[in-house]
Amino acid sequence: MKPSEVEATARPRSGIVTHWRREAIVGYLFALPWIIHFLALTVGPMAFSLYASFTSYNIVNPPRWIGIDNYRFIFLSDDRFRIALYNTLYYVIIKTPIVIVLSLIFAVLLNNPIPGKRIFRTIYYLPTVITGVAAIFLWIWVLNPAGLLNRGLALIGIRGPNWFYDPAWSKPGLVVMSLWYIGSPILIFLAGLQDVPQHLYEAADIDGAGTWAKFRAITIPLLSPTIFFQIVTQIIGAFQVFNTAFVVSITAHTTAGDPAQSLLFYAVYLYLRGFRQLQMGFASALAWILFVIVLVITVIQVRLSERWVYYAG
Amino acid sequence: MTGKFRLSRRQFVGAALAALAVPVIQACTPIGTPVPGTQPEATQPPLDTTPSPETEPTTLPETGQEPSELPYTGRTDVSGQIEFWHFWGSPLRRNAIRRVIAGFNEQYPEIQVTETFVPFGDIWTRAIAAVAAGSGMPDVLVDTVQLFDRAQNNIMTNLQDLAERDNITEADFWPHAWSQANVDGNLYGLPYETDIRVLYYNKAQFADAGLDPEVAPADWDALWTAADSLDIIAANGSIERMGFHPLIGNIGLDQWAWCNGGEWQAEDGTPTINAPENVEALAWIQQWSDRYGKPNVDAFQGTFGPPGLQDRFMSGKMSSLVDIQGYTSFLNFFNPNLSTEEGENLGYGLGAIPPAPGHEPAALSGGFALANPRGSQQTEAMWEFAKYAVYVGQASWARDTYAVPTVQDLARNDPVLNADPRWSFFIEAMDYGRPGVFNPFYPNMLEVLGPAVDAVLSGSMTPQEALDDAQRRAEEEIARARG
Repeated sequence: MKPSEVEATARPRSGIVTHWRREAIVGYLFALPWIIHFLALTVGPMAFSLYASFTSYNIVNPPRWIGIDNYRFIFLSDDRFRIALYNTLYYVIIKTPIVIVLSLIFAVLLNNPIPGKRIFRTIYYLPTVITGVAAIFLWIWVLNPAGLLNRGLALIGIRGPNWFYDPAWSKPGLVVMSLWYIGSPILIFLAGLQDVPQHLYEAADIDGAGTWAKFRAITIPLLSPTIFFQIVTQIIGAFQVFNTAFVVSITAHTTAGDPAQSLLFYAVYLYLRGFRQLQMGFASALAWILFVIVLVITVIQVRLSERWVYYAG
Repeated sequence: MTGKFRLSRRQFVGAALAALAVPVIQACTPIGTPVPGTQPEATQPPLDTTPSPETEPTTLPETGQEPSELPYTGRTDVSGQIEFWHFWGSPLRRNAIRRVIAGFNEQYPEIQVTETFVPFGDIWTRAIAAVAAGSGMPDVLVDTVQLFDRAQNNIMTNLQDLAERDNITEADFWPHAWSQANVDGNLYGLPYETDIRVLYYNKAQFADAGLDPEVAPADWDALWTAADSLDIIAANGSIERMGFHPLIGNIGLDQWAWCNGGEWQAEDGTPTINAPENVEALAWIQQWSDRYGKPNVDAFQGTFGPPGLQDRFMSGKMSSLVDIQGYTSFLNFFNPNLSTEEGENLGYGLGAIPPAPGHEPAALSGGFALANPRGSQQTEAMWEFAKYAVYVGQASWARDTYAVPTVQDLARNDPVLNADPRWSFFIEAMDYGRPGVFNPFYPNMLEVLGPAVDAVLSGSMTPQEALDDAQRRAEEEIARARG
């Protein structure tokens, strides 16, 4: 082959490579603002907090390296860590299934051609757009021992619990309160439901399937990716519960986490250590422990999802 | 089709991890967005913290009047602009502090003060973040007994040299107020307002119950006996009127133990949380809780409103309780009708904190201090403002708010304050005021008491077990901090 022939065959290929490379560069340039943001404001602070978790650090003075002392104390001596973890797991385990089931039921109901369904959708979504703390105050009144809910219960002869004044009922009270915010999960389920092809239901009708059989054999399997997504995000959200518990406890009791530390959730404890006691190193260690816990739970769920989540098509 | 929700596993894990990583880690990002506001843990009751809708700084005009004589060594030729952060957002306190600043500007036309309201829960976080960043800190910051901790952590400027230059010494102040602003002989803030806890009781209810309305219960036994006559309990146990409860009011186990001769730490800082006197005090609180039944007390507490006609005392639900002297300003403002069954308005009476039989009363005297965050460029001007506010401004401040001035002379001799016949009682009560407990290795050491009290009241531990446990926790925290 003559040199000129070699050049002739090679040229188009190098042209493509250059084109790809140029395209890649342009792509990265477009993504650059996000990449800078991600590195500077996410990866950077994460790396720093990992380092800080091995130090004693109060923001004002330089961090002092103390090795694994923070972690050792948390795992071996810290009662409040155990209480906070227990409270948080309790909340996650109780709240997540209730939210998923309820929002699925509402979504299925709202997916039917009923009159005024748009109005209902709006109503269910409204609480989500109300400012958090204002809504929490509202609920503190509703769940007051002499409040709206207990007065309603009294009408039917039930002496309602003391809710946020009773350590045994404060977490259930918080779960009741959180059910108000199921607007977003309902919307996501609705979107998922509307993606279920109608012809499957029509075929099932021809086969004489009942409503429950259609729901179990068509709706649930085709909705399983959405359910999986909801479970994962709800669990992550529940692990990070902070605002409601914090506002409720300081309003009803002045001490964050009260009554009797029953509302001392993980994020509340982390906040108290970090911002009240200025133990940023300790708080960073707590944050990384939570990160690992949530990561492990999520990975387990992803593994388990292979057995029950059905991706059509 | 299901296309919209078809996620590959990899995509899903990626999205989920990104979603969870950011908030978790941001939660411990050292300096970041403002954190939610909190209620005070210090000695002021929630009544001071009503957030004001106006949070923007307000600049007061200079007045340019001739300076008059100052009751301290001042330098009216100092000039500058100072930024003053406080958490007095209620209309009453905001106006009161503006009045102090206006008076200052008359004396010091060359110093301009910008006052900024910052919510109680945010103020230290923001100031500390600014100190750490090296810019944006205020020149004057209202600080509390936690000043010890701030001084130790090098957050506040040491003002000792200025104090010595101007001959400002402990002699002018209540001893507890002075000691709370001093660390190892160095002054870190000028004490501004203090308080004292007393017993308030409803004279009309005392009279109706056959008790002498002019005699306050003098000790724990007298409280218990008085409550026997005062309580009104429904057949199902629900409380309609409560004679007294040691945990309803502005006081807790820490001070009840003092009233039983207890201490929370030895002079060398060793915790003495499970000392017998403290255990006895907790057992006494438990008796009260059992007297009414904890679920009944919880339900009863849920029926209280904020300070005002629905509050626990003014509404007549509590016949007696402990609160600071500043509660008087609310009683004066709302002027509740505390009448006997015959319709005679007897008002309320005051008594010293009732101690255990054979012991002396003791209560926390808290308060604040005007401090200068490290890095401020206006320490001289701040110092002039602090001196004026403390030695002169506290008079008008106290008249407005019923706070006790930290300068003894003002507290004892101000004619307007003394025009209220109750004022002299508060000043007498100051004798049993004590500074808060501070452990250098565990600044919030008394936080271990909350869970201990809860454990006892819920019946899961005895007072001895609960305080043994609290002692162990405090020792572990201190050992950790010592490193």
